[in-house]
Amino acid sequence: MLNTKSILLVALLASVARGQDAAAPASPPTPASPYVGSEACGTCHEDIAKAFAKTPHHIADGKDKRRGFNGQACESCHGPGAKHAESASAADIRNPGKLTAAGSDKICLACHLNQPTHIGRLQSSHAKNAVACTTCHKVHATGEEVLVVRKTEAINKQCEGCHLTVAAQFQQPFHHKVPEGAMSCVDCHNPHGSMRQAMTQSFGANEPGCLNCHGDKRGPFTFEHGPVRMEGCSSCHVPHGSANPRMLERPQVRQLCLECHANLPQAKVKTTIGVVPPAFHDLNSPRYQNCTVCHQKIHGSYINRDLLK
Amino acid sequence: MRLLLAVLFIFPLAAQTAADAQKPADPPAQQATPAPAVQTPAAPAQEAPAASPVPTAEPDISGWIDFGYRFRSSLNGSADTYRSVINLGQGPKLFGADLTILDPKKRLFDSMHVRASGWGGDPYGSLHVDMEKSKIYRFDADYRDFAYFNALPSYADPLLTRGIQLDEQSFDTRRHIGSYNLELLPGHWLTPYFSYERDANTGVGVLAFVQSNNEYAVPSSMNDRTNLYRGGLRIELKRFHATLEEGGTTFNSGQSMFQGGPTNYGNSSVPVFGQTLDLTSLAASYGITGSSTYSKAFFTSNAFSWLDLYGQFLYSLPSTSVNYQETAAGNLYLPSQILFYQSEQYLVAAASKMPHTTGSLGGEIRPFKHIRLTESWLTDRMHDAGNATVNQTLVPVGGAQTTAALLASTLVSNYNQTEANLYVELTPQLTLRGGYRYVWGQADDAIYPISGGLTGPELAKLRRNVGLGGVVFRPNQKLTVTAEMEVAESGGVYFNTSLYNYQKVRTQARYQIRNSLRLSLDFTLLNNQNPTAGINYSYKSNNEAATLFWTPNSGKFVTFQASYGFSSLRSDILFLTPQTLAQGTSDYHENAHTATALFNFNLGHVGVFAPKLTAGGSIFTSHGTRPTSYYQPTAKLWLPLSKHSQAFAEWWYYGYGEAFNPYEGFRTHIASMGLRYTR
Repeated sequence: MLNTKSILLVALLASVARGQDAAAPASPPTPASPYVGSEACGTCHEDIAKAFAKTPHHIADGKDKRRGFNGQACESCHGPGAKHAESASAADIRNPGKLTAAGSDKICLACHLNQPTHIGRLQSSHAKNAVACTTCHKVHATGEEVLVVRKTEAINKQCEGCHLTVAAQFQQPFHHKVPEGAMSCVDCHNPHGSMRQAMTQSFGANEPGCLNCHGDKRGPFTFEHGPVRMEGCSSCHVPHGSANPRMLERPQVRQLCLECHANLPQAKVKTTIGVVPPAFHDLNSPRYQNCTVCHQKIHGSYINRDLLK
Repeated sequence: MRLLLAVLFIFPLAAQTAADAQKPADPPAQQATPAPAVQTPAAPAQEAPAASPVPTAEPDISGWIDFGYRFRSSLNGSADTYRSVINLGQGPKLFGADLTILDPKKRLFDSMHVRASGWGGDPYGSLHVDMEKSKIYRFDADYRDFAYFNALPSYADPLLTRGIQLDEQSFDTRRHIGSYNLELLPGHWLTPYFSYERDANTGVGVLAFVQSNNEYAVPSSMNDRTNLYRGGLRIELKRFHATLEEGGTTFNSGQSMFQGGPTNYGNSSVPVFGQTLDLTSLAASYGITGSSTYSKAFFTSNAFSWLDLYGQFLYSLPSTSVNYQETAAGNLYLPSQILFYQSEQYLVAAASKMPHTTGSLGGEIRPFKHIRLTESWLTDRMHDAGNATVNQTLVPVGGAQTTAALLASTLVSNYNQTEANLYVELTPQLTLRGGYRYVWGQADDAIYPISGGLTGPELAKLRRNVGLGGVVFRPNQKLTVTAEMEVAESGGVYFNTSLYNYQKVRTQARYQIRNSLRLSLDFTLLNNQNPTAGINYSYKSNNEAATLFWTPNSGKFVTFQASYGFSSLRSDILFLTPQTLAQGTSDYHENAHTATALFNFNLGHVGVFAPKLTAGGSIFTSHGTRPTSYYQPTAKLWLPLSKHSQAFAEWWYYGYGEAFNPYEGFRTHIASMGLRYTR
């Protein structure tokens, strides 16, 4: 089986390498070419051409040996323009804005697919729900919004344009400081997709992105608290916002803890972790109503098995 | 850092001043660039029209800077809650800045962007610098300074019922986060890159020193630092890309607790055998060091026009070692031996290691023009192992007693997932998606030696079948409707409250009603049921939100945006009350309304001025287990003073209230006045 896999892998790499060789740059326009070049486009679409010259994509109008679009930046997305230049009819030129998301993405990915950004693309909910690249990346935009917004407030505003319920959650009193402009959505989420749930960012190689800012919760701890490792911070916290202190799922800590640490009588059918009796504390006493007063190392302890210190 | 900030702002301003200073004495345009004229006397310089613009050699600086003063009215209510939620103070502030510097000679950089906000003692300051020299390098630096204050008696104060508001489990810390990235040869097929990231936290707080029959709130100081170093190589070819990265981290933490003042009687006022327990002195400190190395490798490929592939392999090996020392004195008690003792020493040496491997593979196949099939597989394997050597010496009246223990722990989690989706473009307006996901895994958790037979090794298995579906309907440019759903059935999960048999639905719609009017709708639903005997978990949450954007006359005079959101959450699960073992239901419910609105008015010309007004704010109110209200109305007036300057005045009101914990409410007004200088 291993050998079969190895052969398949080698064959695949060989085919890729062949594809590499075969991908020669497009030949320069000839008199019979269906391409007219960006200069010709600019004679009618002057404003767009001027604005476009200030975007990173104008590289395709230079001597771009790698992609082979020498002088044909406009047509690299809009397709051959000779017919349109002759007729001046919108019907004779491709308008990516009117294509399906998959259709317009195909144009972008012709150049951008083989970049690290897109490693999680196919699993992202954006790709699954046909959110096209151009929804966020305005190809003709200039100024502060050239290709992609980069300022914290602008990023958040763009995301909120679709994610309305999430924007509403941030209006709750306990929230990450996104509305205040201290953080942006992309600090925690990778809009291009990630291997983690909810397209969240990673720390280091494969650790949760929350640790980018909460390094003290990283461990590894001598005595771990299972849910933190296995289901992540959101098993207890609501990261977008909550009416409960510390963005907790429940207003009372004991409620949150005891929903898992329940004293199940039928121990024989125990199917989940953490359900054995934690103790026999009297919850009527205020001392025991907030478990984390004593079990304060709730994210994991370096020295105490009961997470007390 | 502040010095760096000052230098960064002085640099562009100084450059700006120099450029301005030269302006009055500017010679004719040709003389502004004397070098070429001298070097090429034969050039037809004199034939050029005198008024022709000549590129300047000075950096071109554009952008704005906002500075001023913030006032805060007297605070009504809880200052601790205010600081936990808002934490804005008064004083002179650099509210924000955004500068772009273009170097026409492209010497050190082609362009540099500097952005800053919230400096001058604000709870969240940020500074971002990025610069680029085309095809040579790209550099960005991001620095943030967060104040984290949290002191909420309702959250953690066992003495509250006795009228004592003690901020147990409270923190007053600052977190400094920096990220510095350098990319060489951007745009080339071979791109090396290097990064350094740092996350450091320092501050004080109140923690509990837990002894067997009592807990003592004591002051604590805390600090931790994580440094991350990484470097890698990106290989980008036309049909293939690979990235290889190596990195590592270092970690230090030095938390300590101390008590040296008056006798601390702790949270328990109940005497034990007639004796009152107390703590007279404490010195405890953690010395924690950690490190890790990690490797990343991933690739993407479109081997054929009908096939895209991707894969990644990630491995990390973090480890920590700890030395903990604690000495305490007072009247302390050990119930297992019915022993009162006057002092104790507690020493722990511990270490842990967590190898973590993740791999994934996937691809997209396009067999026909309107059909796509995606397939993915992921495995995530994490094995944590730790051990601790514990030495405790108790000093009762009769003489010292020393005990030693060796503890070992493991936590193993193996998670796997495979998923396939089929996309069919029925028409250019309608795309359907159907798919299937299978999730399986196993988790083991154990601490040895087993304590009292209660916390033995635990094992749980995860099995979940998930059906996936989605629709994208875009009949025209004005209307887009998307919907997706997941329906899952599980044969085992890790925790009582994990997703078990669930249905997840999400729909979004955007409709451009008129050129000036757009409506967006968003709806999400999660319904989760775990019918296992003794758990009987039922969870349902739904969120609805609608937003209206109105920009009459292309927003020339007024723009308006309003949102309304409603969320409902209901959760109930069985549990046994610890002290009676009587079965009860943990019930939580919340219905919340959120409304936000924002008007922007161009007030036209008032004399020589053309002011602008922004007004609006947000309202949040919830009913249920913890009824809460939170209001944030705001207004901001902009008054242009000259071509390059505008004055502004801003007002905020913050009102927070809780029905069950009224002592935690607060109300305050905040006003800011300042100047924006634009270039």
